[in-house]
Amino acid sequence: MSIQIFGIRHHGPGSARSLRDALESLQPDLILVEGPPDAADVLSLLRHPAMQPPVALLIHVFDDPKRSVFYPFAIFSPEWQALQYALTHNVTARFMDLPQAHQLAFEPQISDIKSGRYQDPLRRLAEAAGYTDGEQWWEMMVEERSDGYDLFAAIFEAMSALRESFPVIDNPIEAQREAFMRQTIRVASREGFQRIAVVCGAWHAPALDINSKSTPSAKNDAAQLKGLLKTKVRATWVPWTNGRLSLQSGYGAGITSPGWYQHLWAARDNVAIRWMVQVAQLLRGEDLDVSPANVIEAIRLAETLTALRGRSSPGLTELNEATQTVLCFGSNLPLRLIHDKLIVGETLGQVPAETPMPPIQQDLHREQKRLRLPAEAGERTLDLDLRRATDLDRSRLLHRLTLLRVPWGESQRVTGKGSTFHEIWRLRWQPEFVVAVIEASIWGKTILEAATAYVRDVAGGADDLPGLTNLLDRALLADLPDAIGRLMERLQSVAALTSDATQMMGALPPLANIMRYGNVRKTDATMVGEILDGLVARICIGLPGACASLNDEAAAIIFEHIIRTNSAINLLRNDDYSKQWHNALLQMVDQRNLHGLVAGRCCRLLLDSTRLAAEEAALHLRLALSTANEPGQAATWVEGFLKGSGLLLLHDETLSRVLDDWVTRIHRESFTMILPLLRRTFATFTTSERRQIGERVKSGMKVAAGPTFSLQSARADFDQARAEAVLPLVAKLLGVEID
Amino acid sequence: MTAILREHAEQQFAEELAVLAQIDERPRPPNWNISPWAVSTYILGDTLDNGFLISPKYIGQRRLIEIAIATLATDRALLLLGVPGTAKTWVSEHLAAAISGDSTLIVQGTAGTSEEAIRYGWNYASLLAKGPTGEALVPSPVMRAMREGKIARVEELTRIPADVQDSLITILSEKTLPIPELNTEAQAIKGFNLIATANNRDRGINELSSALKRRFNTVVLPVPETADEEVEIVQRRVESLGRALELPAEPPALEEIRRVVTIFRELREGKTSDGKTKIKSPSGSMSTAEAISVVNSGLALAAHFGDGRLRARDIAAGLVGAVVKDPVQDRVVWLEYLETVAKERDGWKDLYRACREI
Repeated sequence: MSIQIFGIRHHGPGSARSLRDALESLQPDLILVEGPPDAADVLSLLRHPAMQPPVALLIHVFDDPKRSVFYPFAIFSPEWQALQYALTHNVTARFMDLPQAHQLAFEPQISDIKSGRYQDPLRRLAEAAGYTDGEQWWEMMVEERSDGYDLFAAIFEAMSALRESFPVIDNPIEAQREAFMRQTIRVASREGFQRIAVVCGAWHAPALDINSKSTPSAKNDAAQLKGLLKTKVRATWVPWTNGRLSLQSGYGAGITSPGWYQHLWAARDNVAIRWMVQVAQLLRGEDLDVSPANVIEAIRLAETLTALRGRSSPGLTELNEATQTVLCFGSNLPLRLIHDKLIVGETLGQVPAETPMPPIQQDLHREQKRLRLPAEAGERTLDLDLRRATDLDRSRLLHRLTLLRVPWGESQRVTGKGSTFHEIWRLRWQPEFVVAVIEASIWGKTILEAATAYVRDVAGGADDLPGLTNLLDRALLADLPDAIGRLMERLQSVAALTSDATQMMGALPPLANIMRYGNVRKTDATMVGEILDGLVARICIGLPGACASLNDEAAAIIFEHIIRTNSAINLLRNDDYSKQWHNALLQMVDQRNLHGLVAGRCCRLLLDSTRLAAEEAALHLRLALSTANEPGQAATWVEGFLKGSGLLLLHDETLSRVLDDWVTRIHRESFTMILPLLRRTFATFTTSERRQIGERVKSGMKVAAGPTFSLQSARADFDQARAEAVLPLVAKLLGVEID
Repeated sequence: MTAILREHAEQQFAEELAVLAQIDERPRPPNWNISPWAVSTYILGDTLDNGFLISPKYIGQRRLIEIAIATLATDRALLLLGVPGTAKTWVSEHLAAAISGDSTLIVQGTAGTSEEAIRYGWNYASLLAKGPTGEALVPSPVMRAMREGKIARVEELTRIPADVQDSLITILSEKTLPIPELNTEAQAIKGFNLIATANNRDRGINELSSALKRRFNTVVLPVPETADEEVEIVQRRVESLGRALELPAEPPALEEIRRVVTIFRELREGKTSDGKTKIKSPSGSMSTAEAISVVNSGLALAAHFGDGRLRARDIAAGLVGAVVKDPVQDRVVWLEYLETVAKERDGWKDLYRACREI
C-alpha cells in the first residue's frame, strides 16, 4: 500500500497540470481531496455534461442559509482536475476535510483566522528566495512551469521545513481539520485501497504524512475530534464567476488573475504569443489600432525583459509591460480594459438542472428562462418598455427580487420622453445572490409567493405612514395583488390614526404617482383612490393647524412638503381635491402668526393656480412687506413667495407684473427700507437670472420673453378638425387611450 | 579635476563603466559595451560583488528602466515621454553612455531642425568644386551612429516639424539611409538604435504621425511617486552638481531640501501634503529638475554671499523665480500659498519671512 501526498495551491494551473500528469502515472485506486465530505451526495454531478466551471460548492446551515461557505472551483483548480480524473477513470474519490457540519456549528468569527494561513508561510519562502511577493514567487516556481512529478516532493520538503521553523499558530480548527484528514486517510488504508492519492493545500501536506513520526498518532487524533458540535447542513452546486474566484471562502486562498490562469491552463504551447494575440484582438474590438507587426514587437520586448530579469518564460508582468509600451504607446488606460476582460475575465459557470436546489431557486431559473433574462457575470443595461408583456413581467421579477433583498438589478432614473412606460435597469449577477435566494425560501416556494409573504409580514409590523406608502409603491411595481390588499388595510387603519399632517403629506406623493401612472402597469388603482380621498381631506383639514407657530427649521420642512403635496394634487387632476387644497391654502394665507415662508408660498401657489387674481396677490405682497411687520417675518415671506423662481420671474408675466405693480406704487423712502429684505431672496438667484431680470425692467417690461402658450393666442384660422386628426397617433405614441 | 564645465556621462562615470565591463560576463548584444543586465545596474545603482559601489543615476521604478533597456536590445527605437523635468534626457544620456560609451551623437529638436540635421548635409565648397562625392557629404549624428553601430539620441522630438520627423521612418524600419545623390545608402550596422525624448504636456505642438509612433516603444517617465523619493533625487543631484561646479558651501541640510520639495509637490498637485487643503497650481510644471536648480542656486548664494550654509533666504530667491513664471497669475498663486500654507506651518517662519521680503 502506498500513500502519495500532493501539496497544491488552490486554483493553480501549474499545480493542476502537474497533478494531472502525476495521477496518470500513479494510477491510484482512491483519491482523497481536501474538501467538505458533506458534499459527497452531489459529487457525482461533476460528470454531468452541463456542469461548466467556474462553479462552487455551497454548504449552508439547513435552517440558516446565511451561515454558509463556498468552495469555488475553476477548470484549472487542481481539486477539480483530481475529481474529474477520478470520475472519468472510475476511481473512488472522497472529500476528506473536517465536515462543515462541524465547522459551521462554531460561531462565525472563526473564519477570520483562516484567511491568513497560506499567504504568510509562502511569503517567508519567497523572501528567502529574494522575492518580495509570495504569490509571484510561487507563480514562477510552480504555476508557470510544466515539469511534473518531483515538483510535489519539493513542495512537500519546503513545507516541512517551513512548518518546522514557523510552528502552526495555535488554532483549534486547523488542528482538528488536519486530525480529521489524517483519520480519513487511516480509514481508507484500512479499507484496503492500494494506491491512495491525497490532494491538499501545500501547507497541510507534511501534516498528512501518517507514517511520519512527528505527526500525531491515531489515538491523539481521535481525542482531538471528540465531542465536536454538529449542525444540519445542506450542500449544492452554484454557478460561480471568475471575478469571485478571488473571494476568500472555503479554500482560503484567492487569486487575482483567474483569466490569466485559465489561459495558462488552456494554452499548452506558445503561451505568451497566444496571450498577446488575445490582447490584440480585444484592443482591435475597441477600435484601437494594433497590427500583427506590433504584436511581434511586443512579444520580442516581453521575451527580452524576461531574459533581462533572468526568468525562463514571460509572466503576466512582462506581458503587461510589453503591452503598455508597444501596443498602448505608454498609456495605461487600455490596460484597465485588458484587466477586466482578459486578466480577470467575466465568465459565469453553469450547473446542471438536476442539482438539488430549493423550490424558490428552481422557480427563479424557470422565470429567467421564460423571460429570456439569463444571469450574467458582466454588467449590462436593460431598457424595458412596460407596454410589452414580456418586459412588464421582467420588470415585475426584478422588483420582486429587490423586495427579497436580491439586488440583481438596480433601477435607474428615467428622464425625458417615455419616462412613464420605460424602466432602465442595470443588471449584474453576483454568485452570492444564491444565498439570498435560498434565504428567501422561508417565505415561499416561488418568487411571487415569497415576495407577497414578505411584504405582508413587513406591512403587519410597520406603523408609519411614509414607510407604508413606500412599501405599497414597491409592491405595486412588483405586482403583488395579495399583498396589496393587506397593505391597503394597514394603510387605512394607520392613516386614520395619524394626526401628523407632515406624515400624511409625505405619504401623498407616492400614492398620487400610483394613481396617475398605475394604469401603464395595469395595476388596480381603485383601492388607492379610496385611501387618497381620506388622506387629502385630512391633510386639508389638519394643515392649517399644523402650521401654527413654527420655528425656522420646521417651517422649511413644511415648505418642502407643501410644494410636493401641491404638485401631487396637480398630478391627480381631481377637481374635488384641488378645491379642498386651495381652500386650505386660502385659509392659511390669511392666518395670523403663520411663518412667513409658508404664508408666502401659499400665496404664490394660489397665484399660480389662478385662485388668487394678480391684484389680490399684489395686495398680499404689500401687506406682508408693510412696515408694521417685523423685518424678519417680511423677509421670509418674500423668500417663500419667490424662492427658486428666478427664471419664472422672467417668463411668467403675471408674477412679474405683481412684483412690478408693488414696486411702482411703493413710496421711495419705504422702498429703501425694505430693499434689504428683497435682496435676501434675490441674492439666491443666479447672476445671469438677475442680469436678465434687470434688463427686462430696464426695457420697460413690455416684451414678454418667449412665446406664450395660452388658448387665447390660438389664431382665428385654427382648424379644429385637422388638429384632432393627429390625436390618435399621439395617443398611441404615449401609450394612452383617448375617448 | 578638468576644466570642463559639464562632463559627459561616459566621462564622469568612466570608472563605474569600466568596472562593470570588466566583471560583466553575461551575453552582450552585438556592439554593446556591456550586457543589458549591467546597463540596468549602472543606471539603478547597486553594490557589486567585489564591493564596488555603483551610484544610482535614476531613482524610480526599476521596471521602467528594464523596459527601456529591453526595448533597445530588441532593436526597437525608444521614446521617452514625460512632463518637463522628469529626467528623460538624463536617462537617455546614461543609456547611450552605458550601451555605446558615447552619448554625444545627439540631434536637438527645435522648430528649425531641418532634414539635413537628421539625415546628412553637404560641404558646399567641396560640392561645388567636385560635385556630389562621399567627401563632400556631411553626415548627421544619426548617420554616424548608424555607421558605427551606436546609440543616436533625438531630443524634444515633438518640437521638430512633422515632415522632418517623418524622415526617421526609413531609418527606424529599414535601418538604412538612402543617399540618392551618390546612388548609394548608409546601412546601419548592429548596435545602432535611437532614443528620442518628448514632452507630453505640450503634446499639441507637432504630434507624432501614427506611422512614426508605431516604430517606437513608448515609456512614460512619471513624476516621483513619494516625497522621500523626490528628496533623494534632489539631494543626489545637488551634491553631484555642487561638486562639478566647485561650490565651497557645505552640502545642503536635508531639512532645507525637504522644504523645497514639499513646496514643489504641493503646488504641482494642487493640495497640501496632508491632503486637507486645496491650493492653486501655478502655470509652470514645477518639475523635480527645477527643484534641483533652486537648491543649487541657493547653495551658490550661500557660498558666495552668505555664511556658507544653506539658509531660508538663500533658497527664497530661487523659489520665487521657479514658481512665478507668469507675473500676474502665478504671483497670486504664490502669495496665497505663502499666506495660507507656509505661514501657518511649524518651523517655516524663516522661509515665510524670507519669501515675503523679496
